Order: sequence, then C-alpha cells, then structure tokens
Amino acid sequence: MDLDLLLGVGRFLLATTLLLLLTVPTAFVVIQMELKVIAQMQLRYGPNRIGPWGMFQSTIHGFKFLAKEDHMPDQADRTTFTLAPWMVYMAAAMSMLVIPWAPGAIAADFNIGIVYFFAIIGLSVVGMLVAGWASYNKYSLLGGLRSAAQMVSYEIPLTLSVVGVVVLGGSLNFREVIEWQLDHGWMLLWQPVGWGIFYIASLAEINRTPFDMVEADSELVAGPFTEYSGMRFGFFFFAEYVALFIMSGIMVALFFGGWLAPWPFPAQLEGFGGTLYGLFWFFLKSYLFVFVAVWLRATLPRVRVDQLMGMAWKVLLPLAMLNLIATAGVVVWLKL
Amino acid sequence: MTSEVRIPDSLHPERTEEARLRAAAGLAPAPATGGEYAGFESVGLPDRPPQTEREREVYTLGEGEMLFNMGPQHPSTHGVMRLVVKVRGEVVVDIDPVLGYLHRGIEKLCENATYTTVMTYVDPMDYLSAMHNEHAPAIAFEKLYGIKAPKRAEYIRALVVELNRVFSHGLMMGFQALDMGGLTPILYGFINRDEVVELLSAISGQRMLFNFFRVGGVNFDANDEFFSRLGTWRAGVLKTIEMNERIMTDNEIFRGRTIGMGVLSGPEAIALGVTGPSLRASGVPFDVRKAHPYSIYPELEFDVITQTGGDVYSRYLQRVAELKQSIHLIDQIVDKMPHGPVQAQVPGIIRPKPGRAYAAVESPRGLYSVYAISDGGPNPYRFRMRDPSFVSLQAMPKLMPGRLIADTMAVMASFDPVMGGVDK
Repeated sequence: MDLDLLLGVGRFLLATTLLLLLTVPTAFVVIQMELKVIAQMQLRYGPNRIGPWGMFQSTIHGFKFLAKEDHMPDQADRTTFTLAPWMVYMAAAMSMLVIPWAPGAIAADFNIGIVYFFAIIGLSVVGMLVAGWASYNKYSLLGGLRSAAQMVSYEIPLTLSVVGVVVLGGSLNFREVIEWQLDHGWMLLWQPVGWGIFYIASLAEINRTPFDMVEADSELVAGPFTEYSGMRFGFFFFAEYVALFIMSGIMVALFFGGWLAPWPFPAQLEGFGGTLYGLFWFFLKSYLFVFVAVWLRATLPRVRVDQLMGMAWKVLLPLAMLNLIATAGVVVWLKL
Repeated sequence: MTSEVRIPDSLHPERTEEARLRAAAGLAPAPATGGEYAGFESVGLPDRPPQTEREREVYTLGEGEMLFNMGPQHPSTHGVMRLVVKVRGEVVVDIDPVLGYLHRGIEKLCENATYTTVMTYVDPMDYLSAMHNEHAPAIAFEKLYGIKAPKRAEYIRALVVELNRVFSHGLMMGFQALDMGGLTPILYGFINRDEVVELLSAISGQRMLFNFFRVGGVNFDANDEFFSRLGTWRAGVLKTIEMNERIMTDNEIFRGRTIGMGVLSGPEAIALGVTGPSLRASGVPFDVRKAHPYSIYPELEFDVITQTGGDVYSRYLQRVAELKQSIHLIDQIVDKMPHGPVQAQVPGIIRPKPGRAYAAVESPRGLYSVYAISDGGPNPYRFRMRDPSFVSLQAMPKLMPGRLIADTMAVMASFDPVMGGVDK
C-alpha cells in the first residue's frame, strides 16, 4: 500500500484526536478563568477549595456532568434531542482544524481555511435550533429561534469584515495571512473598522454578553439548553467555551498577527523552538481576548433582542460594506 | 444511553381512565387531535373553567398566540411569583400575575398573637424592609393603647428605618441590573447590604428579622460603640453605591433598555394605587413622611424627590436619589439624637381599650400601613396590612402589552416587588 497515503491517514487521525482532546482542557481553562476573573471583579473569592486557588473547580464541574442523570422530557423528539449537542460540539471541535497555532503547527493548512472556518462555525446554529425545537419547551423554542435569528444576522457582518482582511492579505489561507502581517504589520493597523465589526459580531456569534440572547438566564432560564442535563448539557457548555477561545484565536490570527511576537526582533523563529515561541504568543494573545470577553460579561447588561437585530442590520452591515468597498478601492488604487 | 422515564398513569396517554374505558368497550384508541405538538401553545391553561371576565380574556388564545409560564420557579421573578404571559412570538400580548405561592397567613397569625409578639410575625413579610414592617404596627398599637414612645426611642426608630431603606434601595439597583443580564451590581448591592445589616444586628441582635420595635419604644438602646461603627460605615457607604452607579447610570445598553420603557403616567399611577418611589418617579410628590408625618419626620429637613419620566429609568434614578436622601436623613438624626429612656412603661400583656387604629409609614416600596381593631383582649381582633408591592404589581398587565418578553423582567424589577410582602 502507498506509504504516503498511510502516513496521511495517520497524520489526520493524530491531528483530529489531538484536537478533540484539546477541546476539553481548553474549555476547562476558559471556564476556570471566567469563574476566577468574574469573582475578582465582583469582590469575592471565587472557587478556592478544589486544588490550589481552586484550580480544579472547572475540571470537577466537567466530571460532575458525567455522573448526573441524563434526563429527556417525555414529549421530546428523541432523535434530534440526542443529536443536537453533538452538532454544536462538533461545529466547535471541527473548526479547530484550521486554527494556526504556530509555524508548523496547523492541523490542516489548506488554501481555503478562512472559508472553511466560517462555514463550520455557522453550523452550530443548526444544533441550537434543533435543541430548541426538540425539547418540547417554550423557553427552549424561543431560545432556539432567537439563536437562529441572531447567528444568521451576525454571520453576514462577521464574514464581510473578514473579506477586507482577505482582500489585503491576498489569501484565504490563515498561514499566508499571518505571513502577510509579518511583512506589513498587524492587520489591525490596516483594518481597524473591520476589526471593530469583527469583534462585535464575533461576540454575538458565540452568544457572549452583552449579546447572550440565546441563554438569557433572566428571561429564558437557559434558552435551548433548558431541558438538557448531564453530559448532553456538558457538550453544549464545552462547545460554548471552546467557541469563545476559538473566536479569540481566529481574531488574533486575522488581526493581531497570530503567532507573531509583537516586536520584529524576532517576530518568529525557525524549527521546533519557533513552534514553541509561536505557541506562546498565540496563546497569550488569545487568552487576552478571552479575558476581555469575561470582563465584558462582568460589566455589561444584556441588549434586547430587537436592539440586537437592529444593530446587525442597520449599523454593522452597512459599515462592513463600506469598509469592504473602501479596502478594495485602496488595494486597486495603490496596487498593493 | 437513555433511561426509561416512569410517567404516572394519570399523565400517560395510553394509560388514562379514558383509554382504559375505551379498551374495555373494544374501541380503538382515541385519535390524536392534531400533530405531535398539538396543544403546545395552550400548556399552562388553568384546569377549570374561567371564573371571571378578565380570566376569560387572558386565557383565550388568538391566532398565533401562546401562553408562556414564567415562574413560580424562574430565575428572575423575585421569589415565587408566577406570571402567565400571553405572547405572539416575542411580543407580550397580555399578562396575568398569579400570586399566593408564599402565603403564610401572617395576618391571621398576628390576630392570634399578643400585641408584643405581633412584631415577630410581621418581620418576614416584606423581608427587605423588616424595620418598616415593625414600625407601622408599633405606631398603630401605641395609638390603640394611648401611649407615646420616648423621644430617644423615636429617633432610634427613624435611624434604623432609614438604614433599612439604604440597603433595600441598594439591592434594588442590583436586582434591576440582574434582571437585565448585568451580573455584577447585585454583588456590590449585597456588600452594601451586609454592612448595613451588621450595623442593625449590632443594635437589634439579628441580621434579617430584627424584632426590634416594641409597643412604646424599642428593644435596645444604641450605645457609643454602635455610633462609632455607624460613623465608620457612613464614611464608606457610598463606595459600593457609586460603583454600581458607574456601571449602570450612564451605561448605553442600560439606558437603551430602560428609557421610555414601561411608562406609567402620574394619573395612571394614582388610579392603580401605586405608591412610594414608583409613584414619585411618575412625578407625583406624595411621600407619607411629608404628607402624613409620623415619628420624628416633621423635625427633619428633606424634600420630596420626584422624577418626570415615569419609565423604568426614572424609577431607578428615584431609588438612587432616595438612597442618598436617606443617608442625609441619617446624618440629621444622629446630630439631633437626644438622651433618655428608650421604652415607655407598659405592662407585660397589653390590653388596649376597644377601638380602631390606623398607621401608615413610607416603606422602600411605598405606603405600608396597618389597620388594627381591638376588642379589649390581649391580642388584636383584626389586623390588616396593606403591602405596597402587591399594589404595584397591578400595573404590570397595564404596562406590558406590546413590549417584549425581555422587558417584562426589566419593568417588574423596576417596581421592586418582594414576594414575601405580596403574598403575606
């Protein structure tokens, strides 16, 4: 048998297994960050019993899900009710495939990575909608429909704001966009408006405060997740926090130079040391934006559902269009 | 993977009485009355015919409408309140507040208690303003018995009552934010509450249900240590309040959601019987402390604060302004505090002459009043309390139609209802 094919299959299996396994510690770290950071902002201690500084609180939370009763409402649609958590979780896990962690550490370095990413991350809305419908619960139903409306609306400005980056960077490959930033400086300097739109829309896309309309615990109890318990709820929960990390990572890759150090001496290194160097900067920048998201959650109240849609269609979409046209014009004019 | 859920026979579609009778008669099972989700929109209908015209109106569903049951177990219904919301999509068509989940029969308990022990029963009514709950019966019983509390007792009463108002309004800011998705202000509000409650427990011995007022005085005198702690508290009290104001008052999202939301005009508020900060936020300058002065309030200098908007934002601003006014009043009370006894001479078991007495106080939620009838015995013949949050909730069905589900929570929080008081 062809050795190359075997190697390819082996490499694929290794990469996907690693990434699937990686979702769990990522979720644990982000949840732990949320618990501790919000606690500090609210002048309380936060978890401080399990492990040093309560370090393993979120891990225990994760294992707790496994021990809980897996309840299904009597009138729920059994097939779709079971499938929904997987759809949401797989959307988050599959989108990790194209994240540019460091030079030489991209699971799938293919030429339409950006398109792939936004296609896959948009799949989670199907899971939410299905979860809301299958639960036979009015809170779930409203939450599911809200999530459909919200994510579909915000995907448009989100994608349009990235098109500006693609036009400048001249590639749909994450690695090439980052290498473009090595020569020209961070994309943030070239696309500040695009970044603003991307940041707001990405918060809405992953249902973070102030756009957490889908869960909206003071109105819809837990939105589409109301009827879920045990590990099924755990998958939603993991997917949400993994998506938070992924969105931060993608934003870092597109606008903040990805694995590049913030100074040019040296922005990146060669070989295995370079991979570690890149990983360090990538994680530092990504978790910085996770921190900002947590900070926002501690600070802001929630916007209303009509204000949310109004903002997407009346503000962000025209702005993203203008930004795209201006970027394209400048690129053509200056022949960049 | 999934365990089989055991359903009681009465709920199981194939094991009901009707199905059993049909099977016995050799008939086919009853045909389903529609699709899999038939009847989904009307889950929540009461299992009896409508009793009133209003009930028929609320529970008759039009095209595309469904019933949406909020509570009694819901994250933001301020305790165990139940709102049956009729919605069309996300738009509220009608609201039916269903009360009584926390009813403990406090009025009846009070009628079986002596005049002194009534104070222990009224505490858990409106549990965020327990001092006010005791103030009104104390005044009413003193009127019945025909005695007056000593001057120092009246000052201490006013002091603890205003302290109570500070933490109640501080918490209202937090609940308002919490019901709109802001997580932090409630924590700051509870820090503020904890400081005040520590003070009140220093003077009364308890943190929440104080049992501090007596007929003809108060239970304990305030000593020097208390005043020293009060001074320390006074120096830092505005810290958490100002932190909350920074998060909320000028926050663009908060303003966008509250300004123009749930507008209650002055005449409407009067017609519905809304009192307290919610009434003054609609521009009606009615404050029991000024309109029907009691205790030592005629001796204190303060103005009746009003707002003009009548919306959720005005009601929030009104609370913040009154909180600061209360701190100002506390300063005056401490300055003017006289010396002397804190308890008039009363017998162990009080037997007032037959008669009636009414007393009203300004609680953080509005006009809280007590009507007591004595038949000459050791306990009140009739004891009736008017709770302001019960009356304020009446405004909900008037304000909500045409708004969104999310606004239900914001508007309800702006009236600051406490279910312990509503259900008594």
